[in-house]
Amino acid sequence: MHQQKENREIVQKALKVLGLNQSVTRRSFFKLSGITVVGVSALVSLGAKSGKEMPLIIMDQAEGLVIADSTKCVGCRRCELACTEFNDGKAAPTMARIKVSRNLHFGLKGLYTEPWSKGKWGNGLIIQDFCKQCPHPVPCANACPNDAIVVKPPTNARVVDADKCIGCKMCQRACPWEMMSFDQDENKATKCFLCNGTPKCVEACPAEALQYVAWRDLTDKVPHRVVPTTVIPPEKAAACNECHKK
Amino acid sequence: MKEDKIPDRPSQHQGAADIIREKSKTGQIVSAEELFLTLRGEKGSESEGAEDSVSPEALLNKVMAENKDLREVRTKEGCAFYYSSMFMSETYARLLLCKQEGPIQLVADTVREDSDRYPRPTPLAVFKEPPFDLSKEEILSCLQEMSSRVEYQDISQVSTSIGHVFLYSTRHLDRDYALMLAEWIDVGQFENP
Amino acid sequence: MATKGGWAGKVLRVDLSAGRIWTEDTIEKYKDYLGGTGIGYKVIWDEVPAGTKPFDPGNKIIFAVGPLAGTGAPSSGRTAITTLWPTCWPKPLVASGHMGGHFAAELKYAGYDALIIEGKADRPVWLSIADKKVEIRDARGLWGEGIRRATYEINQLMGPEACVATIGQAGENLVPMSVVMNSVSHSAGGAGGIMGSKNLKAVAVRGTGSVRIAGNKEDWEKAIKLHLSILGANNQHVVPNSPQPWAEYYSAGSRWLASKGRRWEKSNPAIETGSCDPHHLNRIAYRTNNAAYFLGEGAWQYTVRGNGCTSCPIRCHTLIKVPAVAAKYGIPEHGQNTCGGLNFGRAFFKTFPDGQRGQTAIEACMVGMHLADDLGIWNNYSQVQRDFIKLYYDGTLKGKLGEKEFKSYSWDKYEKGDPTFLFELLPRIANKEGELGTALGLGTGYHLESWGIPEEEWKKEHSLQYWKMGHPKHHSNEDAGQCGVIINTQYNRDAQCHSHSNFTRNGLPVEVQKRLASEIWGSADAIDAVGAYTPMNRAKAKMSKWSLLRKELHDSLSLCNWMGPWVASPLKERGYRGEDTLESLLYSLATGDKKNRDELDQVAERIFNLHRAITIRDMGTKEMRTRHDTIPPWVSGDAQGRPSLTKGTIHMDKEDITNAMDMYYEEMGWDKATGAPTALTYRKLGLASVGEDLKKKGFVP
Repeated sequence: MHQQKENREIVQKALKVLGLNQSVTRRSFFKLSGITVVGVSALVSLGAKSGKEMPLIIMDQAEGLVIADSTKCVGCRRCELACTEFNDGKAAPTMARIKVSRNLHFGLKGLYTEPWSKGKWGNGLIIQDFCKQCPHPVPCANACPNDAIVVKPPTNARVVDADKCIGCKMCQRACPWEMMSFDQDENKATKCFLCNGTPKCVEACPAEALQYVAWRDLTDKVPHRVVPTTVIPPEKAAACNECHKK
Repeated sequence: MKEDKIPDRPSQHQGAADIIREKSKTGQIVSAEELFLTLRGEKGSESEGAEDSVSPEALLNKVMAENKDLREVRTKEGCAFYYSSMFMSETYARLLLCKQEGPIQLVADTVREDSDRYPRPTPLAVFKEPPFDLSKEEILSCLQEMSSRVEYQDISQVSTSIGHVFLYSTRHLDRDYALMLAEWIDVGQFENP
Repeated sequence: MATKGGWAGKVLRVDLSAGRIWTEDTIEKYKDYLGGTGIGYKVIWDEVPAGTKPFDPGNKIIFAVGPLAGTGAPSSGRTAITTLWPTCWPKPLVASGHMGGHFAAELKYAGYDALIIEGKADRPVWLSIADKKVEIRDARGLWGEGIRRATYEINQLMGPEACVATIGQAGENLVPMSVVMNSVSHSAGGAGGIMGSKNLKAVAVRGTGSVRIAGNKEDWEKAIKLHLSILGANNQHVVPNSPQPWAEYYSAGSRWLASKGRRWEKSNPAIETGSCDPHHLNRIAYRTNNAAYFLGEGAWQYTVRGNGCTSCPIRCHTLIKVPAVAAKYGIPEHGQNTCGGLNFGRAFFKTFPDGQRGQTAIEACMVGMHLADDLGIWNNYSQVQRDFIKLYYDGTLKGKLGEKEFKSYSWDKYEKGDPTFLFELLPRIANKEGELGTALGLGTGYHLESWGIPEEEWKKEHSLQYWKMGHPKHHSNEDAGQCGVIINTQYNRDAQCHSHSNFTRNGLPVEVQKRLASEIWGSADAIDAVGAYTPMNRAKAKMSKWSLLRKELHDSLSLCNWMGPWVASPLKERGYRGEDTLESLLYSLATGDKKNRDELDQVAERIFNLHRAITIRDMGTKEMRTRHDTIPPWVSGDAQGRPSLTKGTIHMDKEDITNAMDMYYEEMGWDKATGAPTALTYRKLGLASVGEDLKKKGFVP
């Protein structure tokens, strides 16, 4: 019961942020606006008042994206340092929201599958891993049992709300590119939030290897790093069913 | 360069200012003629009758006055060229100006400036490179002509131990010192990394 | 209780004899020495008695970094390695080397400011540091392997993100001229044999922690951006190499090579370096190309990109791809290094068929890097190559080797400039094979001694660049007159100080340098134009002291003295001024320990004087002026007999140098007759107990 009340509060908050203060069923919203669920840029996230829990399902697309040119990466790690020093007050590459260190020495494939060809010990190519700011369905957000990953205007980046994060790390397991970070000191997840529109990593890169561009869907363009553990809390699964059933 | 800003309120003839800035960004100075063409074109679209009697030169002066980053340099013959100090240094603009005056002036002025200012001799090879862009023949012909003209007698040569020629001006450097500096630039600095 | 920022807080200690591992508190024990060489010298003073030899188990090797390591402070990626130096002749004394790459940052993230290793393991081991979990592990399977395989196998065990610092066969064989290397191309010369003597194959670190910035994060961001805004190219050269539209000045000696038409050609597709206006902080990495600087324009076609240490935007290492070498020599197409490491192979040859900057020379560099960076051989700032050339061409070598060994080398290939010769030579140095291999691995001092060649021979000859105690000069009078000479007297190996030479070579016209000099050192007379030296003066003494202190400060904070200090900048709007308070600004913000420039310089002075004290103690004399701070005759002998201190010669005047040393000692608060710090100076610098100790032995004037 307490959880339902919390979920309703989450939804109300989300609605407020988006300027919609009435409760509307998801289906009726679509009927009103005449838009479809898939592939349109101006969708609005909302909860459905259906008498049950109202989980937050992110529908918005992000406005921007940091993309990376691996041929320019010079392996200085200033992106990781700027991300964490300027946002968190500590130099913590393990926690960086753009990820270079893990590919630095031996490339993406690393050491265990085949002779490495990339990275500093290979041909020098360093792949920078960046958050895709996934469109709906957003894996990290949907995996969160607490609706702690929200959309933040004006960039509509997918952002961890630290107040709600309980540190369960389900989001870490859900991301196919292993882009979730975890702040060990705070025991909270964190992720790329585009620094409110002026990404610090882009500003910090001395080789112009990073760019902040208009969002485009790269989820099917970048090979997955891992097979993610896709777990959706039952409330969200129910919402998926409600929304998508014919 | 942060010294000068593009003015907030653009001049009516901002096209000329923009051309100067764009060219400066790519390392070029703009001749007065080229600007006059633009200004005449812009003038043609003016609706105020009073403007019709103003010369392109006057318009250019107005543009210069309104855009503090724009600068003028003139050749010895008085031909004017323009650049933006936001994107180009005076040194570079004068170098390009010298190019307008011909290879001999370019070489001589560069060598004298180097010998006086830094001070240092000038590697002959630098004149083949941008922005000097002289051909081998032009350089050789320069050297020949300078050796026969009184006003260029100060331009002299030394060779380093690896056979590279450096020029210097005796107005500012003596031979011994020029040779030592040439050797330091050409060989010494690499042997003392 | 607030934890300090900057420092990780713990010093890791390992006794390989006892197999014991424990930690100390950095702040409690070492705060007054900052980190890096500061901690190194403190440990050597406190714990390594005079008379200890480099390969004794009682010698300690200290890998230490400073509070700025692991942060985003530019150029904060170097690890200082302090120990008794095996190539220091005739008596090993304390010295330090430095290793860039990613080791320093990883050590901090693991939670350590320093690693102090003592004793000797009873069998080959390697040290595994994974945050708090530190283990001494069996290295018998790695022993005998080169640096590359050892790194690979250790990374397999620790994960691909671990940073592995390992020795090659040279270090295992206790070759004094050997290195420890991390991150492919970043080595510290002289340390390999020390590790080998402890049966320590490698130190590998994986750190998942962080370095806290004590100050306000917005202030930190501003400070970092200030630092970035005044950066030049490698060695803090602040003008471009060729005329660029934005630039008022340029200099053919500058390492700021970026230009329209110069491209990283072997990047796929090629990347234009372009004009790199200094305000474009996103293009700092394109300014420098040391492969092209040293190997000529021909290196651009082979350039993949720049490379280097954590946090540094300069990328002074160049990654080159030379396809021809794969078929020709059977080595990988890729090679990377900088400076002496890049030139390792080339420097052995007197001539190449197509010149010092032709294709063959580039191939020799590739072969050299391939061999030396795996075998783990050091070159002592290219001294070993200069020695080799001299000894071959003057016939000494032939006489010393004996017929059989001499014939075992393909000298015809060597004389022709055939890089395959290196395959015959370098492995023999690493494996101490034969008279030549062994001799070249000793270090110049011991090499000359073993061949009965008086050191005086080397000290007479300018082209050998030898200075004293088995090591070469490192930026002396050719760069900065008396200041350079003074600096080169002060250490127990080559000085490795760039504070002065970074400034004098920054490419600004001498009148601009003089203007800056008057602000920094009190008078425009601190600086002369190169080769137009004027008599010694007080300002030059101040500049000498500043240069040395800042070097120690950088080596203790973890800032790269090959890049700093940053007292000149490429910015015309700043009058080309840099920022002399930069180190104290970064230090204060990172640690929360507010110190202004002079206060921090005083800490550096403490560290530098401690080095002096150890040297005095271990030499067993206070007569530093006559017995340690020596200057080779070639410094004051012009080949053409030109009078010194005139235009056209860099050679110095003996009397003027005597005066220079007097003034320098005065600046330092040292006794003029002996060059030894006085009791007062030790007390002033918080080294009272050090002073008392030395006084008891009669080493304080």
